[in-house]
Amino acid sequence: MKLVSEVGVGTIAAGVAKGHADVVLISGHDGGTGASPQTSIKHAGLPWELGLAETHQTLVLNNLRSRIAVETDGQLKTGRDVVVAALLGAEEFGFATAALVSLGCIMMRVCHLDTCPVGVATQNPVLRKKFMGDPTHAVNFMQFVAQEIREYMAQLGFRTMNDMIGRTDKIEARRAIAHWKAKGLDYTDILHQPQVGPEIGRYCQIGQNHGIERSLDKQTLIDLARPALERQEKVSATLPIQNVNRVAGTMLGSEVTRRYGRAGLPEDTIHFHFQGSAGQSFGAFVPPGMTLELEGDANDYFAKGLSGGKVILYPPTASTFTAEENIIVGNVAFYGATNGEAYIRGMAGERFCVRNSGVRAVIEGVGDHGCEYMTGGRVVVLGETGRNFAAGMSGGIAYVLDAHATFRNQCNLETVSLDRLNEGDLQDVRVMLQKHVRYTRSTQAQQILDDWETRAPEFVKVMPKDYQRMLDAITQAEGSGLTGDEAIMAAFEANKNDASRVSGN
Amino acid sequence: MGKPTGFMEYERELPADRSPVERVNDWEEFHQHFSESKLQEQGGRCMDCGIPFCHTGTLISGMASGCPINNLIPEWNDLVYRGLWREALERLHKTNNFPEFTGRVCPAPCEGSCVLGITNPPVTIKNLECSIVDRGFAEGWVVPHPPEKRTGKKVAVVGSGPAGLSCAAQLNKAGHAVTVYERADRIGGLLMYGIPNMKLDKAIVQRRVDLMAQEGVTFVTNTAIGSDIPAAQLREDFDAIVLCGGATKPRDLPAEGRNLNGIHFAMEFLHANTKSLLDSDHVDGAYVSATDKNVIVIGGGDTGTDCVGTSLRHKCKTLTQFEILPQPPLERQPDNPWPEWPKILRVDYGQEEAEARFGADPRIYLIQTERFVGDAHGNVKELHTVEIEWGKNENGAFIPKPLSGTEKVWPADLVLLAMGFLGPEDPVLEQLGVERDPRSNAKAEYGRFQTNVDGVFAAGDIRRGQSLVVWAFNEGRGAAREVDRYLMGSTELP
Repeated sequence: MKLVSEVGVGTIAAGVAKGHADVVLISGHDGGTGASPQTSIKHAGLPWELGLAETHQTLVLNNLRSRIAVETDGQLKTGRDVVVAALLGAEEFGFATAALVSLGCIMMRVCHLDTCPVGVATQNPVLRKKFMGDPTHAVNFMQFVAQEIREYMAQLGFRTMNDMIGRTDKIEARRAIAHWKAKGLDYTDILHQPQVGPEIGRYCQIGQNHGIERSLDKQTLIDLARPALERQEKVSATLPIQNVNRVAGTMLGSEVTRRYGRAGLPEDTIHFHFQGSAGQSFGAFVPPGMTLELEGDANDYFAKGLSGGKVILYPPTASTFTAEENIIVGNVAFYGATNGEAYIRGMAGERFCVRNSGVRAVIEGVGDHGCEYMTGGRVVVLGETGRNFAAGMSGGIAYVLDAHATFRNQCNLETVSLDRLNEGDLQDVRVMLQKHVRYTRSTQAQQILDDWETRAPEFVKVMPKDYQRMLDAITQAEGSGLTGDEAIMAAFEANKNDASRVSGN
Repeated sequence: MGKPTGFMEYERELPADRSPVERVNDWEEFHQHFSESKLQEQGGRCMDCGIPFCHTGTLISGMASGCPINNLIPEWNDLVYRGLWREALERLHKTNNFPEFTGRVCPAPCEGSCVLGITNPPVTIKNLECSIVDRGFAEGWVVPHPPEKRTGKKVAVVGSGPAGLSCAAQLNKAGHAVTVYERADRIGGLLMYGIPNMKLDKAIVQRRVDLMAQEGVTFVTNTAIGSDIPAAQLREDFDAIVLCGGATKPRDLPAEGRNLNGIHFAMEFLHANTKSLLDSDHVDGAYVSATDKNVIVIGGGDTGTDCVGTSLRHKCKTLTQFEILPQPPLERQPDNPWPEWPKILRVDYGQEEAEARFGADPRIYLIQTERFVGDAHGNVKELHTVEIEWGKNENGAFIPKPLSGTEKVWPADLVLLAMGFLGPEDPVLEQLGVERDPRSNAKAEYGRFQTNVDGVFAAGDIRRGQSLVVWAFNEGRGAAREVDRYLMGSTELP
C-alpha cells in the first residue's frame, strides 16, 4: 500500500497493517515522474523523513511493525539516504530517478510527450537510437550505493540492516545550522523511540496471515471446478455467498488462466450461481469460460479488471422492489476491465466502468463519473446517469437511454460527442438487450424490446472524438490496401500528429 | 520551450557567412542574417528542458558552462518561435545590457551546455540572440531609458571595456551619476580596439555608447587615471570608484632577438589597425602593415585569430599561426563530457579565410619559438622553432619539453605575439593602495567586488584575469549592484 507522507500517515499505516498488507510504502514529496504535472511535483506530500518516523513509531507502539515491511521513497539517491531511512524505520527503499539518471535520463519532464531526447521514455525509433544507457550502469550505481551503506554501517557499528531499523538514537540533529529558518526547529518527535519491551518487534519478522485458505475459492470453488480445470468438462453449482467472501472467483480464475492461458475455457464451462450478498471485488479478473451469476446484491469493485468472463447480477426472485429503481451493486464496478460480458438488473453506484477497455456491459442506471477514462468496450445504460458521465473517455461506445432528454446535462462533453444510433449500433444494442433479458429476466429491457420501434430512438450514442477519428483513419488505411496491424499502425501514425488530437481532442 | 517536437523536425542551421575570398577584401562584418521563418524554426528546436543548463553560468573544470549572465534563453527561444520579437528583446535585455556584442563575439558557453547538445547539434542560441537585438535596433525598439530619479551619488568607472560599460549602464539605471574614464580616444576598450571591425562593427559599439550617453552616462576619453588624473583625485570627487581597467599586460616571449624590429604584441597591432581604419580608412598609415610580409602569429586563441584575419586583409605574403598546445580533438573526449565547455577543434573566421587564401589551415601545433634572428638593419628575418611534447616536471606540473632534431627555421617579417595577458597594469591600483591577489589581479571577493579600499570596487579582467566578454558583463553588473548597495544601503539591481 503506497501512502503519501503526511501528518497522520502513521494511523493510516496502522490500519493498513491490520488489513494484512505485506508492505506499506511511505512516499515522500520530492519525487514524481517526468509526466507529473508541476502542481503535483511542487505541492503534494511532505518529506519522507516525517511520514516514515511517524509510521514506524505508530506501528511499533501498536505492535504491528513486526508483521509489515516499511518502504520509503522520494528522491533517495545515496547510501547515506538509505542509512538515514533505515535508522528512521524503513527496511525497503525505492530508487527511481537516480537509477534512470544512471541510464541516461536527463529529467526533461516530457515523458508524456513522446519527445524524450535521450530515448528513455519514448517508443519513437529515431529517439530510441539516442539511448546511451546500459543495464550495467544501473547495476554499478546500486553497487556504489551498497558500498556507501556498508561504510556507514561500519562507522555506526552495525552488522545487519535489521539491527539498524528504527535506531534513531544514532541520528544526531546538526546543532549549528546557520540559517534563520532553522532556528526553533525541534527534531525530538522525529527522533523519538517508543518505550516498548523486547517482545515487540522493530522490523518485519512475521508474515501476514491473509486468510487465503479460508476464502471461498480455496474452500469450495476450486475443488468444484476441478473437472473443468482438468478435463474441460462443464461444471455448475449453486452456492450461498456472504459479504465476508471477498474476491470470489478470482483465484479460480487464476487457475484457469494458468492452465489455459489467455484464451481460457469455452464459454460457460464453469457456471456458478451464487445466492446472497457478495463481498467486495466479486468476480475480479475472471477469464473466459467462467460465468458467475449472482442472485442478490454486490459490494464495491464488482468484477474489477474483468478479463473475459461473464458476470450476471439480478435481485432475488422473491424480492418485491422495482429492480431498475434500486442500487444493486456498489461503486467502481468493472474498473479497468479488459474483456468479457456483464448483465446487471438494477442500478450501479459511482464510477461505473471507469477505465474499461473491452467489457460489454448492460446496466439499468449509474451514479456519477460513469465510463470515466473508458478506452474500449460497449456500455448500455437503460436509465439515468449521474453527472460527469464519459469524462476523459477516449475509446469504446456508451449507449444511454435518454427517456427524459436530460442526459446532455449529465455528460462531460470535453472528449465525446453525442450522436444518434446508426443501423449497426441499433442491432448491437438490441442483441445486448436480448441477452440481458435472457440472463436477468429484466422487465425494463423486455419492455424496451417489446416497444422497440418507439423506444429505440430514445437511445443516445456517446462517441469519443478520438475514437471516431481513429476508426476513420483505420478505415482509410484499409481502403488504401493495408490490413490488420499494419492498418492500425498507419492510422496511429496518421493520428499522432493530428492537430485536433495534440490540442486535446 | 518552442515546439515540443521542433528538435526532431528541424536541423541546426546557421546563416552562411560571407564568402572568405570576398570578405578579406574589406573590413565589414562577415556574419549575415537569416530569414524570419528560419529563425523561428531554430527557436523551435529549444526543448523546454525540465532541467535546462544553458542559463546556469557555472564553472566546471575552470571553464564556463552555461551563460555567465544567466540569459533567459529558453524563454526568448520560445518567444522567437512564436514570433514575439519585441517581448524576446525585453527578456534579453533583462539580463544582458549589450546583446549585440555577445551575439557577435561570445564563444557561447550556452550552446556547449545546451541539453539538446547531448544527442544532437545544440540550439543556435548565439545567432538567435544576435537576431533578436539586431531586429530590435532595426525596428527602433531600442531607445534610451534615462532613469526617472537621480540619487545624487557620483560614481567613477575607470575603463570603458565590457565590464566598465555594463557596470555604468546598471549604475545609471539605479539613478547614480556615472562618469566613465577611458584613456584611448574612443569608448569601448577591447570592444572598440581589441576586436577587429569585421567581427564587431565599431558603428555597433558606438551606437550603444551613444545610447548610454543619451541615458545620462558621462564619457571622458583620452584620460588615463593615474597620470592625467591622479587616482586620489577620483576618491575625492566621487562617492565610489569601480576599477574596470582589464588585464592588459601582455605575456611576452623572452627569447633571443625579441628586441628586433617587426615583433609586436597583438594588441599594438590590432589597436592601431582599427584606429587608423576609423580615423582615415587606413590613409594615415598609422598602423603596422602586414602587406607582402611573411607573418607569424604566436598564439592560437581568439586574439591570434584576429591577428590572422587582420593580416589577411592587409594582404600578407604568407601566414602561419603557432600554438603550443596539441591540436584539439574533433569531438568531445570522455574526460570532457556535456555540459562542460567542449574542448574541440574549432575553425574560426581567420583560419577559414587563411585556408581559402593559402589552401591550408595556418595553425601549427606543439611548437615553440627558440629565438628570433634579424637582418643587418635590426629587422626580424627568421624565426627558429622546435617541436615540443608535454611532460611533467619534478613538481608534477605540465611543462613543454623540446624535441631535439625538430628545429626549424621560418622566414618572418612580422611576428605578432598573442599569448594572452598576465594581469592588470599597476599605476591605478598602486596609487589607490588596492591589495593584489597572487596572480597580481585586484583582490576583491567575487560577488562583493569590494577591494580593501573603502568605496573602491573592481570588476572584470582587472579582478578576474583575462576572460570572456560575458564574464566582464557578469562582473560589471555585479559590481554595479554592490556599489548601489554600498551607496544606498540596499539595492534592487540584479
